[in-house]
Amino acid sequence: MSKPLLTILATACALALPALAHSRPLTLTAQLKNYGGDGAYLAAYLTDAKGAYVRTLWVAGGKAKYHKHLSDWSRLSAGDAKRLNGVTGASVGAGRTLKVTADLADALIDAGYEIRIDAAAEDMRDSPSEVRIPLSKANAGKPQAGKQYIQSATFQLQ
Amino acid sequence: MSWKAIHRWLGLTIGTLAVVLGITGAILAIDPVQQAWQAPAAPGNFPVATLVERVARSVPNAEEIRRLPSGAIVVFSFAGDQPQASYVDPADGHVLGAWQASALPRWVKNLHRSLLLGDAGRWGAAGTALTVGLLCVSALVLLLRRMGGWRRLAARVRGSLAQRIHVVTGRVVLAILCITSLTALTMSASTLGLVTLDPRTEPEVFSVVTGKPDMPGAQLTTLQNLQVQDLRKLSLPGATDPEDTWKVVAAQGQGWIDRTSGQMLAWQDAPLAQRIYDWAVVLHTGEAAWPWAVVLGLAGASVLLFWLSGVVIWWRARRQAPHIIGNTPMAQADVLIFVASEGGSTWGFAQTLQDAFVQGGHRVHTSALENFRTTAATRQVFVLAATYGEGQAPAHASHALEHIAKLNASAVPVTVLGFGDRQFPAFCAFAKALDQTLRAQGWPTLLPVECIHQQSGQQFARWGDALAQALGEPLVLEHVPRLPATVALTLVARQDYSGVTGQASAIMRFAWPAQGLDARLRGHGLARFAAGDLVGVVPPGSAVPRYYSLASGWEDGFVEICVRQMSGGLCSTHLLGLQMGDSISAFIRSNPGFALPRSRRPVLLIGAGTGVAPLAGFIRRNDRRSPMHLYFGGRDPARDFYFGPDIQRWLAEGRLATLQTAFSRVPDGGGYVQDALRRDAERVRDLVAQGAIVRVCGSRAMAQGVAEALDSVLAPLDWSVSALKAKERYAEDVF
Repeated sequence: MSKPLLTILATACALALPALAHSRPLTLTAQLKNYGGDGAYLAAYLTDAKGAYVRTLWVAGGKAKYHKHLSDWSRLSAGDAKRLNGVTGASVGAGRTLKVTADLADALIDAGYEIRIDAAAEDMRDSPSEVRIPLSKANAGKPQAGKQYIQSATFQLQ
Repeated sequence: MSWKAIHRWLGLTIGTLAVVLGITGAILAIDPVQQAWQAPAAPGNFPVATLVERVARSVPNAEEIRRLPSGAIVVFSFAGDQPQASYVDPADGHVLGAWQASALPRWVKNLHRSLLLGDAGRWGAAGTALTVGLLCVSALVLLLRRMGGWRRLAARVRGSLAQRIHVVTGRVVLAILCITSLTALTMSASTLGLVTLDPRTEPEVFSVVTGKPDMPGAQLTTLQNLQVQDLRKLSLPGATDPEDTWKVVAAQGQGWIDRTSGQMLAWQDAPLAQRIYDWAVVLHTGEAAWPWAVVLGLAGASVLLFWLSGVVIWWRARRQAPHIIGNTPMAQADVLIFVASEGGSTWGFAQTLQDAFVQGGHRVHTSALENFRTTAATRQVFVLAATYGEGQAPAHASHALEHIAKLNASAVPVTVLGFGDRQFPAFCAFAKALDQTLRAQGWPTLLPVECIHQQSGQQFARWGDALAQALGEPLVLEHVPRLPATVALTLVARQDYSGVTGQASAIMRFAWPAQGLDARLRGHGLARFAAGDLVGVVPPGSAVPRYYSLASGWEDGFVEICVRQMSGGLCSTHLLGLQMGDSISAFIRSNPGFALPRSRRPVLLIGAGTGVAPLAGFIRRNDRRSPMHLYFGGRDPARDFYFGPDIQRWLAEGRLATLQTAFSRVPDGGGYVQDALRRDAERVRDLVAQGAIVRVCGSRAMAQGVAEALDSVLAPLDWSVSALKAKERYAEDVF
């Protein structure tokens, strides 16, 4: 099976799941380093056990023309027409914190899913998959360091 | 709105923002210079494949290779978890040092691009760039007008220090600021989304997983065919993702390459908009060549200089502009005063007249003559008209006569008062022509036309008395003329001549006081001047200045004039009575039409008596040894050969090519200077045929005689004095 078709199938499943089970809110916090540049573009999204894109949680940074610098997210989510529906905000300044919430189906937790964050800042190096945190109960509340721009990223489940 | 008004108001208002952009731009220009210092540009005419091979040896985990516009190569990698970026020497791949994005604070760049106001600020910055472009266009128009066309664009600039800074800097920087503005607009258009650089989405391509090992970068055909100088960015396939591809961004476009087969998976040509944008960035930032960055930096900093000098020029012009205090709107005024003035002094008289009427309870409106009309409320109209040159109207009122000739007369009396100088044959000619036209149209008048000589306050007061009588109401005209600010000049040397008819004369040299930059900027004291300009001397007890041609320029370091005793002359008596160390109060007035243009063409100087003074000044400063030929006319070489010893020395030094003299009161003296010209007809024709520039200084009668002589001498060439004047090759300074 071709990869895009797989992705679409996986997305369809993931979107279908919340209807069957209870969902709970997830809070994602990302504390940025003082990297000495303009506000960072961030894309937080969910991938499944196979690394396929599931859904976008949040995109910080409103100018679509720069979204290609969030390269993993941009590439993986290319087939998702609804990827930006109501999930965009301003870019995040160096040293600042991004805090977003999303509703998440219970079934996604401890099922091999992963939260990924891509990051990019102007005139600086793109950082695809800056942070990858497996979506498990054990990982909730555990800060995870990023590669270039993110000091630490944490998710909380309620 | 005139170009001047556009230039002035854009400069004064949005110019402040332009200063911000200029200064921040100058600071940002430091980056490319520093970059060039850290990683000197290396030749880029070898394949990218070779570069990849060299980099792979020194930076094993390289993720991305960038070629900066400066030509420096930066390699991004990870050492363990730590992201690294290094300058690499493309010649052998060795690491030169760590790369820092920019040493300058980000807010400087953001201030420059968006005034720290986000997208709204970006529009503001783009608007400012557009304004700078408009300022450049209007500046060019004004510059051409001021200098007298393209060919004279490089000529010497006169005026106050602020004016010279503004014009001289403008000549140098105009083109660069124009480029900066155009490129800024190009960049803004894409940043603001007015132009989309590359509307296509990137293709979704993957390397085909075959299990075979990756093809080394050095063997990729695309990279072998691509020169380093065209490279922008090369992303190497990541170690963890077997489907990841090579991605190369070059001047020509961008492509994706399969990591195992080395096949080009997709290629997108760079669209035209992208290429234009790339050029704009290079031109605007100077990133590609540090010397250009230095030029841009200086141009940016000069914006502050422009703005400051522009504000000073505006402020001075505002202060000197006719400014009538207590003007009633025209529709409500019962007395209307219309003014035609070349130098501005007539406005002072208008103010005095207005004040006197207001004192008597009238409502008065004063305006320029071109606005001439009457309203239902008007009871009296006065026209105060100066005459310019040979009987012409002052420039601003050049069409006023035609305008008035078309109006229907009303019953309101119109009284004309002329201003002029009796030394000119067309004394008050314009005022008289106005009066004639008004009478011909049928306008009544209160008083016959009267002409004021040399701004005489007494004569004006007498006219006021006559007016008061005619009106049957008290009216006192006490006029104190407004003079330019004067400075005290101290007599440091004088050379006395006895004169032929017992009239004394002297060459007098004055020192001027040291002046601070501030005073010079604001145009106080003595502006920069050249030989041929005029010094206005105000004798004690008089408010009316007398003008003398300068025999020296700014570079000479002194003010020198040649003074002859006039019978009953207030000013000449004052000057000739001065002792060493005594001071006079004086100001400088430029005489641009008489100054010599910068050229190596021959110069024919014709002067008589004290009229030799400005010509001597020209010769003294003839450091370039242009061929100058002097015809000097006097009465007796023993008594009035002014500058005689100096002239002999200048001849020996080559500052003066030839000297012909004519002395009218000695036997075999050669008669008048025009006789000498007739005798030398052949040579004079030769000089004129070579393109000579002619300058004549002396009495009005002498100038007329010279013109007649030259007309007859030049007739065989089909040249005439008027034709030379039209070509700006002939100018007179007469008294």
